[in-house]
Amino acid sequence: MMELPSTITPGDGAAMDRSARGRLGDLVFGMIARLAGWFILLVMAGIVIVLVSGGWRAFSTFGPGFFTSTAWNPISNHFGAATSIFGTLVTTLIALVFAVPFAFGVAFWLVEMAPPALARFIETAVQLLAAVPSIIFGMWGFFIVVPFMAHYIEPTVTRYLGHVPGIGLLFRGAPYGTGLLSGGLILAIMITPFICSVMTDVFVSIPAVLKESAFGLGATRWEVMRQVVLPWSRQAVMGGIMLGTGRALGETMAVTFVIGNSNRMGWSLFAPGNTIASLIALEFPESAAGSLKLSVLLALGAILMIISFITLACSRIFLQRGTAN
Amino acid sequence: MNKIIMDDTTGRDTLQPALAIRNLNFWYGSNHALKDISLDFPIHQVTGMIGPSGCGKSTLLRILNRMYDLYPGQRATGEVLFDERNILSPGLDVNVLRSRIGMVFQKPTPFPMSIYDNIAFGVRLHERLSRTEMDQRVEGVLRRVALWNEVKDRLNASAAALSGGQQQRLCIARTIATRPEVILLDEPTSALDPISTARIEELLDELKQEFSIAIVTHNLQQAARCADRVAFFYMGELVEVDTADKMFTAPHAKRTQDYITGRFG
Repeated sequence: MMELPSTITPGDGAAMDRSARGRLGDLVFGMIARLAGWFILLVMAGIVIVLVSGGWRAFSTFGPGFFTSTAWNPISNHFGAATSIFGTLVTTLIALVFAVPFAFGVAFWLVEMAPPALARFIETAVQLLAAVPSIIFGMWGFFIVVPFMAHYIEPTVTRYLGHVPGIGLLFRGAPYGTGLLSGGLILAIMITPFICSVMTDVFVSIPAVLKESAFGLGATRWEVMRQVVLPWSRQAVMGGIMLGTGRALGETMAVTFVIGNSNRMGWSLFAPGNTIASLIALEFPESAAGSLKLSVLLALGAILMIISFITLACSRIFLQRGTAN
Repeated sequence: MNKIIMDDTTGRDTLQPALAIRNLNFWYGSNHALKDISLDFPIHQVTGMIGPSGCGKSTLLRILNRMYDLYPGQRATGEVLFDERNILSPGLDVNVLRSRIGMVFQKPTPFPMSIYDNIAFGVRLHERLSRTEMDQRVEGVLRRVALWNEVKDRLNASAAALSGGQQQRLCIARTIATRPEVILLDEPTSALDPISTARIEELLDELKQEFSIAIVTHNLQQAARCADRVAFFYMGELVEVDTADKMFTAPHAKRTQDYITGRFG
């Protein structure tokens, strides 16, 4: 056995001293940590109280009709949440429709096919994309995406799909460039890195031997991915998607730049609209303290928070089950 | 010194081999992992591969179904003849090859799906069967590995719920379901208890009526019990190959002798 150095022999004076100091440090650190923990709860409670108490007047004035009304008339003081809830859900849905396959493609390529050096480079690029401030996306969207949509994409889509019965309704109307579709696309670009990095992580964590077993039966890369890797990582992938959804729901600046900010609700995805977050951002500076309008905005904030909480809860459940496997 | 001693009773001249390796070299990057290997795997026999860890026996197995293809920086030269073709040639369809040369791994690797689908998975990749035909195929292979009676009432249950031994038999069933000619087994019982191990060994004895089998094992008793012929590898070289009887009673090479008497390894 190895001999212990004499300085840490039990019962040594110096060691006693250290432990006394250590106990004090432990006490102080414990208190700070406990305070920090409780402070979080305090902040959460503060937010909920402000939103609910501030929004109470709106809820009590309009009743359940608040959720179904599309009105937005600051002069006659008629407000409804339907348009902005609709806009929030539609842009988020559009974002997911584009971001999920895109993120899957990137993750699949990174994990299964890309040369390792290039994969590392692209992975870093994906992380950088996640770090771009949303206001940058907003400006970029306004100067690049909006004109591009207005001049090329929207007229073309209208020409080919505008007359198709059913879905044609979604692709009609003037090609403003600003609208629900542009908002959704900007969101798609913004949430892709989040979904992609979750997918990359789970795909990498699959035991190599499980994949080899499928390859060993003669499966191609795609067959292995679809029939073995995806079922194996389904929960975690869903969790990642929910994470992206949560972000898309609450994203404000980038959407405000490109969505057109009009209180309209219709079938066309090209038409300008708004989301809860963009509506609050635009209307807040113009709402007098104590006004019904301010109460309406706080009520909208409460609704957004509930929608986000539900999404976050879903993602937690999925991610937990995913790691439990 | 590194001369390969061929056995003349079951050697390549007397029996058409299922697989014939000729002058095979293999590299992991710059690491020369297999050196000039020539070895035959006779039809309907069990060929055991033994040797200390890192001797290249598992590497050899992974060459036979081109599994090394999945990883960059790994390359092989030489020839592996299977059905009169060199399986190392770049133009070969590896997906078809792998359905004809199946593989079973150290640990059971059931797919995250039902027992039924675990078996149907491989078959569906290569054949279009009607529901009835597929049912028959699944039942047939499950009976073949003596698993049918244990699972027939829960074919739609998850394969993950089976015991380790059952899972490994399921993996063997899954492998033979695509009707391969050769089965490669990479230490298939190293994660199993003695009873499950015995059942797998019995199974191998039956399966060789129909398939040619190559098995890598750390367990010398297992090699002695299961294999018809045994090849001893040491540091990337094939030291000796002979019938199991001769190998374990009168090996030629000194290194083989040292290994099987437990002097190293």
